[in-house]
Amino acid sequence: MDDLLRLALDTAVQRGATYADARIVESEREDLHVKDREVGSLDRSQSAGLGVRVIVRGGWGYAATDDLTPDGVSACAARAVAIGEASSSVLREPVRLAPEPAHRAVWASECAVDPFRIPLERKLDLLVRCSDATKKVRGVTTAEAFFSFLRRRTRFVSSEGADLDQTATRSGGGLVALAVSGDGVERRSYPQSEGFFLSRGYELIDEIPWLENAERIGEEAVALLTADRCPAGEMDIILEGSQLGLQIHESCGHPTELDRALGMEANYAGTSFLTTEKLGSLQYGSPAVTLVADATLRHGLSTFGYDDEGVEAQRWPIVDAGRFAGYLTSRETAHRIGESRSRGCVRADGWHHTPMIRMVNLSLMPGRGSFEDLLSDTDHAIYMETNRSWSIDQLRYNFQFAAEIGWEIKKGKRVRMVKGPSYQGITTRFWNSCDFVCGPEEWMPWSVMNCGKGQPGQVAEMTHGAAPARFRKVRVGVAASDEA
Amino acid sequence: MTRDEAKRLLDRLLAKAGSAQVEATLGGGESYLTRFANNEITQNVAESRHVVSVRVADGKRTGRATGNDLSDEGLSRLLARAEEAAKVAPESESALPFLGPQRYREVDAVDPATAALGPDARAREVGRAVARTLAAGLDGAGIFETGHGTIGDYGELGTLAMANTSGLFAYHSETAATFSISALRGTESGWARADSHAASDIDGDALAARAVDKALRAHSPKAWEPGSYDVVLEPAAVSDLLQEMNYLSFGALAIQEGRSFLTGAMGKAVLGETVTLRDDPYHPLHRGSPFDGEGVPTLPVTVIERGVARSAVYDRRTAAKEGRESTGHGLAYPNTFGPLARSLVLEGGSDTIEGLVAGVERGLLVTRVWYTNVVDPKLVNVTGMTRDGLYAIERGKVTHGVRNFRFNQGIVAMLQRVDGMTAAVRAGATVCPAVRVRGFRMSSGTEF
Repeated sequence: MDDLLRLALDTAVQRGATYADARIVESEREDLHVKDREVGSLDRSQSAGLGVRVIVRGGWGYAATDDLTPDGVSACAARAVAIGEASSSVLREPVRLAPEPAHRAVWASECAVDPFRIPLERKLDLLVRCSDATKKVRGVTTAEAFFSFLRRRTRFVSSEGADLDQTATRSGGGLVALAVSGDGVERRSYPQSEGFFLSRGYELIDEIPWLENAERIGEEAVALLTADRCPAGEMDIILEGSQLGLQIHESCGHPTELDRALGMEANYAGTSFLTTEKLGSLQYGSPAVTLVADATLRHGLSTFGYDDEGVEAQRWPIVDAGRFAGYLTSRETAHRIGESRSRGCVRADGWHHTPMIRMVNLSLMPGRGSFEDLLSDTDHAIYMETNRSWSIDQLRYNFQFAAEIGWEIKKGKRVRMVKGPSYQGITTRFWNSCDFVCGPEEWMPWSVMNCGKGQPGQVAEMTHGAAPARFRKVRVGVAASDEA
Repeated sequence: MTRDEAKRLLDRLLAKAGSAQVEATLGGGESYLTRFANNEITQNVAESRHVVSVRVADGKRTGRATGNDLSDEGLSRLLARAEEAAKVAPESESALPFLGPQRYREVDAVDPATAALGPDARAREVGRAVARTLAAGLDGAGIFETGHGTIGDYGELGTLAMANTSGLFAYHSETAATFSISALRGTESGWARADSHAASDIDGDALAARAVDKALRAHSPKAWEPGSYDVVLEPAAVSDLLQEMNYLSFGALAIQEGRSFLTGAMGKAVLGETVTLRDDPYHPLHRGSPFDGEGVPTLPVTVIERGVARSAVYDRRTAAKEGRESTGHGLAYPNTFGPLARSLVLEGGSDTIEGLVAGVERGLLVTRVWYTNVVDPKLVNVTGMTRDGLYAIERGKVTHGVRNFRFNQGIVAMLQRVDGMTAAVRAGATVCPAVRVRGFRMSSGTEF
């Protein structure tokens, strides 16, 4: 493998690249999915390949191949250089990389129990038992249970002398109950929508009380069919941690990606209202709001030793007591905001794709008080739990989220379950209305598994830590429409 | 990979099967994408890869293994992993015997010139486009993408070839070209896109001119109040909304599970009389695969005929449940999603965009929509944003730009209120016209 990486660099440099890096990524994956006792997926996959990234006369080139022979690797590197040359023909300013020491290191995520050594039978048996437990609830239409395990080893070398060997293992899964009646389709998920994952081994699966919750989500899905519709109007809301995690992702994570703010995603994902002159001055949120980017977070899905351009993992504030304080950056973009070093946010979702700025773990720092303290402090609000749908505009101002289940809170007590809870807002007004964030005892690292960005599209995974929080005078129920 | 190369590869794998029941699927190809922003190329990539997925059936048990090591040893390991999985899988009541040889229609979807297009040619086309945005004082951003094979937008691999130990062999390859451009000044923008199997159908300069014109006409947009407006939706907007409906509604599994508005509705009028929706991979603007993920030949299916529900699309499992034949819309077996229409066609009319606009007293012209997501699956209530050119229509004329809206709109209800259509064109994954809708709910505004 070392020889192939060296060959890729040598070929690229000999052909005119002023900078080159090469990655070989080997991955192993297991996806198990059961629906109503039927296997929906039982797939064990493996992939290996190489990607070469070059700068030629100031222009980027990238080529990837699964032909891991010397001839295949040389041809791939030569193709990357030819592409870089073509890029240089439509260029206003040559690419310039922020300096980074040439790290040479081996890194691995924590994994106590290798998920690939656990027999398939054991995993499938648990999934079938969970599906059965949900399905036995009268009124449940379908019951699904799934696990997924991924191990990825990335070897990275650069023409600057970096030499890195990193291995990350992640595990997780989820349960979904669906209940259908008439025009009503209600869903409940556990532990969160789209599944709960961390950079850990099978010990995570063993720690989660799957069976204890399988029946509950079935009962809740059925109860939602006949629950009252969530009231509409301007009111206070309380968001459960996983819903808040997605709120952080969409309304803070993406707009602080510096490539977006600089217009580099304008044709697809969009740009950002957080333009560079606002850095350090915009009151993004209330003083209760501190958001920290952290590629060193223990067990985070976007935790690593070094990013995919060899920059060391870092931790820094994005919003500091409400003030907009930082961007997610790359070696190419750091100088555009006067910074001398990349924040190390560049990743690719495999060897076949070029790395780009991706969100690292981004979390809302805990405040003070338990969830019960928060409820006791609330006169009237809707508590919303588990994401059901999400949408946000191309500059990341106007968002709308819907949750799977809501509870009306009156004088500190849950008084009734409500279905179809949704809320809509403008990002800065919303975060400035935050007046209560629960304490560390309620804080959890929630996951996002399907973050799409880029062309060609790439899918990234990351963690968003959050404790439940309250927001004042939010527009609720806008998604519901009798005449729609 | 040619048909012969694909067949040799899959035969090599099946020869290792012995007495086992084995199905093998090959996907992949080459994909090239030149990306630009701020009037310069910012990313330029190429990928070449193939993946084989092996399914082993052991009675009513099934296991799958997928990998990209296509050496003899790699294929043997893949087969062994799939066999191990099949041994321990729970039995499936829906398991069906492998299909034997099938006959498929030929689809001419490969343009050799597109397959051979290099980075210099892509850069030249991008250069012409950004010259136009530069001349207009705007920032140009977009892509010129070409490909040969079955690599999807997010790197997912469609089926290039499949074969099984019962004698089935299927092969379909295609080329694809997409040029998309945004022209921007601050938060104001215009956009245009074209897709074809042949890059020669793409004119980056003309698309840039269209995007520039849209951006200039969106200048200094006025804020209108949220509310219900008559709208003219251009094909890109129609395509995105139809695909939301497609994912939720047209597959037989969704209908059988009661999740679709078509549940119990076959033969009944469910949409407006103007609406005829088909799935047709043989449409000249689609040129899609003639078989599905199970190797079943894909039949053209009329889902909605002049507003009346006619048929779902089926895979083998959902068809068997109703005692009928699959229509060839299955995903790879097994899966939890069910069948899916892949080549949607909304039949068009004879009007023009100007003609549709002329029939609106006060409303909006929508270039495209963005970040759509489902709020209520049964009625296909969808939220999303307008993007890259929203214009006022006043007394039958486009008069000025309007600030973007978030909408919350039931697509079933929307398709009951369509009263005008242009001819259908290719718009992303759909062939569809621009349409005029009487009453479309814009629920909140944004800051630009």
